[in-house]
Amino acid sequence: MSENRKKILEMLAQGKINADEAYRLLGACGEEGQENRRHEDGGKRGPDIKTKPKYLRVTVTPEDNDDRAHPERVNVRIPMSLVRAGIKLTALIPPEALDKANTALKDKGINFDVRNIKPEDLEDLMEAMGDMQIDVEGSHGEKVKVFVE
Amino acid sequence: MNWPPMLMHVKVKNERTDFGLWLPLFLLFPLALVVLLILSPLIIIAILILLALGQGRWVEFGFRCLWAAITSSWALRGLRVDVQGHHETVQVTVI
Repeated sequence: MSENRKKILEMLAQGKINADEAYRLLGACGEEGQENRRHEDGGKRGPDIKTKPKYLRVTVTPEDNDDRAHPERVNVRIPMSLVRAGIKLTALIPPEALDKANTALKDKGINFDVRNIKPEDLEDLMEAMGDMQIDVEGSHGEKVKVFVE
Repeated sequence: MNWPPMLMHVKVKNERTDFGLWLPLFLLFPLALVVLLILSPLIIIAILILLALGQGRWVEFGFRCLWAAITSSWALRGLRVDVQGHHETVQVTVI
Protein backbone atom coordinates (compact mmCIF):
# COMPACT_ATOMS: atom_id res chain seq x y z
CA MET A 1 0.00 0.00 0.00
CA SER A 2 1.35 3.43 -0.89
CA GLU A 3 2.12 6.08 1.70
CA ASN A 4 -0.64 8.37 0.41
CA ARG A 5 -3.32 5.67 0.75
CA LYS A 6 -2.18 4.94 4.31
CA LYS A 7 -2.43 8.63 5.20
CA ILE A 8 -5.95 8.87 3.75
CA LEU A 9 -7.10 5.84 5.74
CA GLU A 10 -5.54 7.27 8.90
CA MET A 11 -7.36 10.57 8.34
CA LEU A 12 -10.60 8.65 7.86
CA ALA A 13 -10.01 6.67 11.06
CA GLN A 14 -9.29 9.90 12.96
CA GLY A 15 -12.52 11.40 11.60
CA LYS A 16 -10.72 14.23 9.84
CA ILE A 17 -12.43 13.33 6.56
CA ASN A 18 -15.65 11.49 5.81
CA ALA A 19 -16.05 8.31 3.72
CA ASP A 20 -16.98 10.20 0.52
CA GLU A 21 -13.89 12.38 0.70
CA ALA A 22 -11.72 9.34 1.43
CA TYR A 23 -13.21 7.54 -1.57
CA ARG A 24 -12.52 10.51 -3.84
CA LEU A 25 -8.96 10.87 -2.56
CA LEU A 26 -8.26 7.16 -2.96
CA GLY A 27 -9.58 7.34 -6.52
CA ALA A 28 -7.27 10.28 -7.24
CA CYS A 29 -4.36 8.30 -5.78
CA GLY A 30 -5.17 5.36 -8.02
CA GLU A 31 -5.22 7.54 -11.14
CA GLU A 32 -1.99 9.20 -10.08
CA GLY A 33 -0.38 5.82 -9.52
CA GLN A 34 -1.43 4.61 -12.94
CA GLU A 35 -0.14 7.82 -14.52
CA ASN A 36 3.21 7.39 -12.76
CA ARG A 37 3.52 3.79 -13.92
CA ARG A 38 2.72 4.86 -17.47
CA HIS A 39 5.47 7.50 -17.30
CA GLU A 40 7.94 4.99 -15.87
CA ASP A 41 7.53 2.47 -18.65
CA GLY A 42 7.01 5.03 -21.39
CA GLY A 43 3.34 4.16 -21.82
CA LYS A 44 4.08 0.73 -23.23
CA ARG A 45 2.33 -1.44 -20.70
CA GLY A 46 -1.13 -2.78 -20.11
CA PRO A 47 -4.33 -2.12 -22.02
CA ASP A 48 -3.17 1.35 -23.13
CA ILE A 49 -1.11 -0.19 -25.93
CA LYS A 50 -2.53 1.09 -29.18
CA THR A 51 -1.17 0.27 -32.57
CA LYS A 52 -1.39 2.95 -35.20
CA PRO A 53 -4.19 2.29 -37.67
CA LYS A 54 -2.82 1.37 -41.08
CA TYR A 55 -5.85 1.18 -43.30
CA LEU A 56 -9.30 2.70 -43.61
CA ARG A 57 -11.70 -0.01 -44.71
CA VAL A 58 -15.08 0.41 -46.37
CA THR A 59 -17.12 -2.70 -47.04
CA VAL A 60 -20.56 -3.13 -48.49
CA THR A 61 -22.05 -6.60 -48.15
CA PRO A 62 -25.41 -7.74 -49.46
CA GLU A 63 -28.29 -8.90 -47.32
CA ASP A 64 -27.89 -12.36 -45.80
CA ASN A 65 -30.66 -13.95 -47.83
CA ASP A 66 -29.40 -12.63 -51.19
CA ASP A 67 -29.48 -15.90 -53.11
CA ARG A 68 -28.18 -14.56 -56.42
CA ALA A 69 -25.07 -16.23 -57.81
CA HIS A 70 -23.00 -13.01 -57.74
CA PRO A 71 -24.32 -10.56 -55.16
CA GLU A 72 -22.98 -7.00 -55.21
CA ARG A 73 -20.05 -6.42 -52.87
CA VAL A 74 -17.60 -3.59 -52.32
CA ASN A 75 -14.37 -3.91 -50.42
CA VAL A 76 -12.08 -0.88 -50.30
CA ARG A 77 -8.85 -0.62 -48.33
CA ILE A 78 -7.28 2.83 -48.22
CA PRO A 79 -3.85 3.30 -46.64
CA MET A 80 -3.88 5.87 -43.84
CA SER A 81 -0.94 7.61 -45.50
CA LEU A 82 -3.22 8.31 -48.46
CA VAL A 83 -5.90 9.67 -46.13
CA ARG A 84 -3.23 11.92 -44.58
CA ALA A 85 -2.12 13.12 -48.01
CA GLY A 86 -5.76 13.70 -48.94
CA ILE A 87 -6.41 15.85 -45.89
CA LYS A 88 -3.27 17.86 -46.66
CA LEU A 89 -4.68 18.46 -50.13
CA THR A 90 -7.47 20.53 -48.57
CA ALA A 91 -4.89 23.32 -48.31
CA LEU A 92 -5.08 23.60 -52.11
CA ILE A 93 -8.85 24.00 -52.24
CA PRO A 94 -9.84 27.63 -52.92
CA PRO A 95 -11.80 29.31 -50.07
CA GLU A 96 -14.87 29.80 -52.32
CA ALA A 97 -15.11 26.04 -52.83
CA LEU A 98 -14.82 25.46 -49.07
CA ASP A 99 -17.66 27.94 -48.50
CA LYS A 100 -19.79 26.01 -50.99
CA ALA A 101 -18.94 22.71 -49.26
CA ASN A 102 -19.89 24.20 -45.88
CA THR A 103 -23.20 25.47 -47.27
CA ALA A 104 -23.95 22.05 -48.80
CA LEU A 105 -23.18 20.35 -45.48
CA LYS A 106 -25.43 22.80 -43.63
CA ASP A 107 -28.23 22.08 -46.09
CA LYS A 108 -27.90 18.41 -45.22
CA GLY A 109 -28.13 19.28 -41.52
CA ILE A 110 -24.42 18.84 -40.77
CA ASN A 111 -23.04 21.85 -38.95
CA PHE A 112 -19.35 21.42 -39.68
CA ASP A 113 -16.76 23.82 -41.01
CA VAL A 114 -14.36 21.95 -43.30
CA ARG A 115 -11.82 24.74 -42.81
CA ASN A 116 -11.38 23.44 -39.28
CA ILE A 117 -9.54 20.38 -40.60
CA LYS A 118 -5.94 21.48 -40.20
CA PRO A 119 -2.81 19.45 -40.91
CA GLU A 120 -1.66 20.16 -37.31
CA ASP A 121 -4.65 18.22 -35.93
CA LEU A 122 -4.09 15.35 -38.31
CA GLU A 123 -2.24 13.01 -35.96
CA ASP A 124 -4.88 13.39 -33.21
CA LEU A 125 -7.57 12.73 -35.79
CA MET A 126 -5.80 9.62 -37.05
CA GLU A 127 -5.36 8.33 -33.50
CA ALA A 128 -9.02 8.94 -32.72
CA MET A 129 -10.03 7.07 -35.85
CA GLY A 130 -8.58 3.91 -34.30
CA ASP A 131 -11.71 3.58 -32.18
CA MET A 132 -14.11 4.42 -34.98
CA GLN A 133 -16.54 1.99 -36.54
CA ILE A 134 -19.58 2.96 -38.56
CA ASP A 135 -22.25 0.37 -39.32
CA VAL A 136 -25.11 1.28 -41.61
CA GLU A 137 -27.85 -1.06 -42.71
CA GLY A 138 -29.61 -0.04 -45.91
CA SER A 139 -33.30 -0.35 -46.70
CA HIS A 140 -32.62 -3.37 -48.93
CA GLY A 141 -30.66 -5.20 -46.24
CA GLU A 142 -27.19 -4.28 -47.45
CA LYS A 143 -24.63 -3.56 -44.75
CA VAL A 144 -22.08 -0.77 -44.98
CA LYS A 145 -19.13 -0.82 -42.61
CA VAL A 146 -16.46 1.84 -42.24
CA PHE A 147 -13.63 1.07 -39.86
CA VAL A 148 -9.87 1.23 -39.47
CA GLU A 149 -7.46 -1.66 -38.97
CA MET B 1 10.20 4.46 -44.23
CA ASN B 2 7.31 4.37 -46.68
CA TRP B 3 8.19 2.87 -50.02
CA PRO B 4 6.59 4.15 -53.20
CA PRO B 5 4.14 1.90 -55.05
CA MET B 6 5.89 -0.54 -57.35
CA LEU B 7 3.12 -2.34 -59.21
CA MET B 8 -0.54 -1.83 -59.95
CA HIS B 9 -2.78 -4.75 -60.73
CA VAL B 10 -6.06 -4.09 -62.52
CA LYS B 11 -8.45 -6.96 -63.06
CA VAL B 12 -11.75 -6.74 -64.91
CA LYS B 13 -14.00 -9.74 -65.22
CA ASN B 14 -17.41 -9.87 -66.86
CA GLU B 15 -19.37 -12.15 -69.14
CA ARG B 16 -17.35 -11.16 -72.20
CA THR B 17 -13.89 -10.32 -70.90
CA ASP B 18 -11.59 -11.56 -68.22
CA PHE B 19 -8.26 -9.81 -68.14
CA GLY B 20 -5.67 -8.78 -65.62
CA LEU B 21 -3.11 -6.05 -66.16
CA TRP B 22 0.10 -5.55 -64.23
CA LEU B 23 1.35 -1.97 -64.48
CA PRO B 24 5.00 -1.50 -63.46
CA LEU B 25 4.75 1.81 -61.64
CA PHE B 26 8.42 1.68 -60.68
CA LEU B 27 9.24 2.28 -64.35
CA LEU B 28 7.23 5.49 -64.34
CA PHE B 29 9.44 7.26 -61.78
CA PRO B 30 12.59 7.41 -63.97
CA LEU B 31 10.36 8.33 -66.92
CA ALA B 32 8.77 11.19 -64.96
CA LEU B 33 12.23 12.38 -63.92
CA VAL B 34 13.43 12.42 -67.55
CA VAL B 35 10.30 14.35 -68.65
CA LEU B 36 10.87 16.83 -65.80
CA LEU B 37 14.50 17.31 -66.84
CA ILE B 38 13.53 17.85 -70.48
CA LEU B 39 10.84 20.35 -69.54
CA SER B 40 12.91 22.12 -66.87
CA PRO B 41 14.11 24.97 -69.15
CA LEU B 42 10.49 25.74 -70.07
CA ILE B 43 9.43 25.52 -66.44
CA ILE B 44 12.19 27.92 -65.37
CA ILE B 45 11.21 30.40 -68.11
CA ALA B 46 7.56 30.18 -67.06
CA ILE B 47 8.50 30.78 -63.41
CA LEU B 48 10.65 33.80 -64.32
CA ILE B 49 7.87 35.30 -66.48
CA LEU B 50 5.29 34.81 -63.73
CA LEU B 51 7.62 36.33 -61.12
CA ALA B 52 8.32 39.30 -63.41
CA LEU B 53 4.58 39.82 -63.86
CA GLY B 54 4.08 39.79 -60.09
CA GLN B 55 2.15 36.52 -60.21
CA GLY B 56 4.41 34.68 -57.77
CA ARG B 57 1.45 33.09 -56.01
CA TRP B 58 0.83 30.91 -59.08
CA VAL B 59 4.39 29.64 -58.88
CA GLU B 60 3.87 28.76 -55.23
CA PHE B 61 0.52 27.16 -56.03
CA GLY B 62 2.10 25.12 -58.83
CA PHE B 63 4.83 23.80 -56.55
CA ARG B 64 2.31 22.96 -53.85
CA CYS B 65 0.19 21.04 -56.38
CA LEU B 66 3.26 19.18 -57.63
CA TRP B 67 4.26 18.27 -54.07
CA ALA B 68 0.71 17.13 -53.30
CA ALA B 69 0.67 14.94 -56.41
CA ILE B 70 4.01 13.38 -55.46
CA THR B 71 3.00 12.67 -51.84
CA SER B 72 -0.39 11.30 -52.88
CA SER B 73 1.06 8.94 -55.45
CA TRP B 74 3.76 7.90 -52.95
CA ALA B 75 1.03 6.99 -50.44
CA LEU B 76 -0.89 4.77 -52.84
CA ARG B 77 0.93 1.63 -51.78
CA GLY B 78 -1.52 -0.75 -50.12
CA LEU B 79 -4.63 0.60 -51.82
CA ARG B 80 -7.13 -2.07 -52.75
CA VAL B 81 -10.48 -1.55 -54.42
CA ASP B 82 -12.65 -4.57 -55.04
CA VAL B 83 -16.08 -4.00 -56.54
CA GLN B 84 -18.22 -6.98 -57.39
CA GLY B 85 -21.45 -6.48 -59.30
CA HIS B 86 -23.99 -9.02 -60.47
CA HIS B 87 -22.20 -9.55 -63.78
CA GLU B 88 -18.91 -7.74 -63.39
CA THR B 89 -15.96 -7.64 -61.03
CA VAL B 90 -13.31 -4.91 -60.92
CA GLN B 91 -10.24 -5.15 -58.74
CA VAL B 92 -7.48 -2.58 -58.39
CA THR B 93 -4.53 -3.35 -56.15
CA VAL B 94 -1.47 -1.20 -55.63
CA ILE B 95 1.56 -3.05 -54.33
